[in-house]
Amino acid sequence: MTMRPDDRELDDEIRAHMALSIRERIENGEDPEAARLAALREFGYVPAIRESMRRVWYSRPIDAAAALGRDLRIGLRSILRARGLAATVAVTLALGIGANAAIFSVVRAVLLRPLVNRDEDRLIYIRQSAPGVGSDNTRFSVPEINDLKARVTTISSFGDFSTVEFAMVGLVAEPRMVKAGVVGGSFFDVMGLRPVLGRLLNAQDDGPKAAGAAVLTYRFWTTSLNRDASVIGKTIRLGPRTATVVGVLEPSVPYPDDTELIANVVTSPHHLGATMVTSRTHRMTELFGRLAPGVSIDAARAELTTVHAAMTREHPEAYPARANTQLSATRLRDQIASPARTVLLVLLGAAAVVFLIACSNVANLILARSVQREGELAVRAALGAGTGALRRTLFAESLVLCGAGATLGIMLARPFVALVARFAARFSVRALDVTVDSSVLWIGAGLAIGAAVLLAYVPRLPSPHAPAGLGLVSSGVRITTGTRRRLRLFATVQIALSFVLLACAGMLIATLVALRTAATSYDVRHILAFDVPLSATGFAGPKTLDLYGEATRRIAELPDVEGVAVGSFVPWRDAGTLGGVTFAVEGYTRADGEDDPTARLRLTGPGLFAVLGVPLLAGRDFSDEDIQSSEPVSIVSESVARRFFPNGEAVNRHMWWTDAYFGKHVPRRIVGVVADADDVQVVSAPAAPPLTIYMPVRQVGIGGRLFVRAAGDPYALVPAVRKIIREISPEQPVERAATLADVRAQILSPERLNAFVFSGFAGMAVLIAVVGVAGVLAFSVSARTREFGVRLAIGSAPRHLLTGVLREGARIAAIGIASGAVGGYALARLAMQFVEHVELPGLMPVIGAAAVLASAAIGASLVPAARAARVDVLQALRAE
Amino acid sequence: MTKPPEDGRLELLQGTLDMLILRTLRWGPQHGHGIGQAIRTQSDDLLKVETGSLYPALHRLVKRGWLTAEWGVSQSNQRAKFYRLTPEGKKQLVREESRWAQLVKAIGRVMKPAPGSEE
Repeated sequence: MTMRPDDRELDDEIRAHMALSIRERIENGEDPEAARLAALREFGYVPAIRESMRRVWYSRPIDAAAALGRDLRIGLRSILRARGLAATVAVTLALGIGANAAIFSVVRAVLLRPLVNRDEDRLIYIRQSAPGVGSDNTRFSVPEINDLKARVTTISSFGDFSTVEFAMVGLVAEPRMVKAGVVGGSFFDVMGLRPVLGRLLNAQDDGPKAAGAAVLTYRFWTTSLNRDASVIGKTIRLGPRTATVVGVLEPSVPYPDDTELIANVVTSPHHLGATMVTSRTHRMTELFGRLAPGVSIDAARAELTTVHAAMTREHPEAYPARANTQLSATRLRDQIASPARTVLLVLLGAAAVVFLIACSNVANLILARSVQREGELAVRAALGAGTGALRRTLFAESLVLCGAGATLGIMLARPFVALVARFAARFSVRALDVTVDSSVLWIGAGLAIGAAVLLAYVPRLPSPHAPAGLGLVSSGVRITTGTRRRLRLFATVQIALSFVLLACAGMLIATLVALRTAATSYDVRHILAFDVPLSATGFAGPKTLDLYGEATRRIAELPDVEGVAVGSFVPWRDAGTLGGVTFAVEGYTRADGEDDPTARLRLTGPGLFAVLGVPLLAGRDFSDEDIQSSEPVSIVSESVARRFFPNGEAVNRHMWWTDAYFGKHVPRRIVGVVADADDVQVVSAPAAPPLTIYMPVRQVGIGGRLFVRAAGDPYALVPAVRKIIREISPEQPVERAATLADVRAQILSPERLNAFVFSGFAGMAVLIAVVGVAGVLAFSVSARTREFGVRLAIGSAPRHLLTGVLREGARIAAIGIASGAVGGYALARLAMQFVEHVELPGLMPVIGAAAVLASAAIGASLVPAARAARVDVLQALRAE
Repeated sequence: MTKPPEDGRLELLQGTLDMLILRTLRWGPQHGHGIGQAIRTQSDDLLKVETGSLYPALHRLVKRGWLTAEWGVSQSNQRAKFYRLTPEGKKQLVREESRWAQLVKAIGRVMKPAPGSEE
């Protein structure tokens, strides 16, 4: 009943009215012709009246949308006629938009989103560094924190956090090692965090007399405890102490460490010990602060610097001049984001470059097509379509294309986001919880519309002043030099940009290949490593060390076990846990001003060198007789022996540690020399093999790692090994079983991801650029069909046409690569001034990138070149 | 709504066209041209409704549900669109008539006050 009348219906009604009106006038005696004119005059301006009738039913926006809808339908139809082109354009744009949307969501999550902490812009992270000895974060000792608390007024409260490992019993079925934060009573208040369950730690939990209390982190509670609310009030064993679970922390960025739980100081005997409380140089605590009301961070920085200067004056022994100890304060948000900033901005740049390439390629394809359509556009113009209407038609078409591209791109965004988030998680813990949200949609839509507008303005419209006759008459394609230059320019730019990306990717791949193929000192595939920690601190009395003795004996009896030994350090995986220690050797006097040499300190059980495959070069291995009560002994690496005992007399000489940590100097007789083995770097500089000194596990009482050499599949041994250890000590954690090959792969996975992400970008860029070159040449060939026909007709060999087209492709590639090299070099130079760690790729990646691009471009020109050579003379000449 | 009056015709008062249309259709369905003529003859040629006002008004009334439109054949055997009053439209007509009566009365009082109220 209230069906909207369409235009035809309205016209019908007007026509009927007119007929009635004329008829009436004729019946009243008017002349038919005069009656018709009078009726028309009386009616008024038909289009205006029809318009006002329409307005009753259709609002203006609906009308505009309907017009666009019509255009879109037409656009869709005309695009479906050129399916190959449409698919290329859509896929190209999808890659560009998908990459950008993904990177944008990660950047937003990591750099722009505020933290959940209350008043997070007042929350600062205070860092002590010693650039003089290469330490960018020395952390703080308890006396230092007490000084700062007593003297600094611009910071209203301080919170401290240190990380320890506990063997935890309770909550989960198996005993396991957990990482735990140990905090003072003010920590959670300073951080401004809330519990999701129970309560957090407060001032009453502070100090050595409080009851043991622990808060679970949200991640641990959800992933390991299945969000079990009944955990509150349960008692857990943490190493030798116990603690009650009092609450669960809300989801928040875990900083400085991603721990399973956070406990008060009373749970950690180490935190109550004299070393921790009184030693100014025993620095293991991270410090946070809350700015006092109305204080700027700069004021706080200034006061911290002053107070720190006073501290260094009062305790010169704790702050050697060459260490150049310094304090800095940053907002926690910036501190968390800072390592990721550069990486994300670089990625954003790469994504933008890919988008640029994609757009220029699409522009190219559309330009080429529009030249072929000049006739069609001229016809439309001749039929009365104004410039606006023509642009709207073109806009609708490119909107259809870009819309398809964006839809595809947003579908691609999800896997891209996962990939990039994993990549960025290395630099910022915030990337761990990046999710794809609606912002991706908006970014995708925005980019698509932007691209559509851009593309609608690429084609030239028939000029209203130029005679339209030409375009109307000729059905052939005319290509102006201007258009051709524009096409070539776009293609060259694409090649240049792809070259830069490809060279970067090549550099990363070269690094990765070097790392993966580097020979290591170990027989990585047959060695299985376990973490079998004895206690939170790693120290153990002779009795608990018996566990290792019995375990190794029983494991050695298992079938397929070729050897088993105890150690302290899983190569690569434990890098960063045991640093260098200063030492001295008998008969070697250091030069004036030279520091004591430092060596890596490793604890080794009997047989470990054989298990790992590190050859013994002189003397003997440690034995079961090397125990605490026997003579102190050590084994040195070849590098130590060669440097300090150049005449090969290392065995039976003595060395001793000079670090204050070891107390009085105990001379240890060197009983053996083993080959150099780098267990920190996967690839070590061959010129300087690391100095390493080994001590027997049973003399020092530090162990914690078990190595098994397997004859067959190493992982098949894991259950048996675990069972044996559990039989000896049911509460003993046995964790992280992995072959050294897998440890290395895991260590290298960031590099692999790095290379993978950049190669992905470069691959996309090359693909798009190659499509671009092929498109330009194909178009150029089809536009020159007539010329080729003529040339063939007057006796030119098809071979010449073929090489001519190939030469055109090669020229585009060559110019593109050359300008890419020059531009990339300039860009890298520029970037070096603003960003740290910018490297120029070596010669190999550059040559490789050039070769890949050039061959791809020439390969892409083969198809159009072959078409040029196959031009049918008669048809070509008849074409016009 | 209407053009300036010419040859002595009156300009339609704002908002009265709808009422006139509804009133005209009280006696049965009629097409647009017929409605225009009816208003003209019933007002002794004093009111002339422009097609530019009449047709949008008709469509507006249809949209509001006071009229229905249907194609039919006129007395002179010509195709035309006929408008018919709906029950809802009849109620609207009653409302408009009483409003109009009040308006006339009120304006009448202002223009010709009852004796005694003038000084």
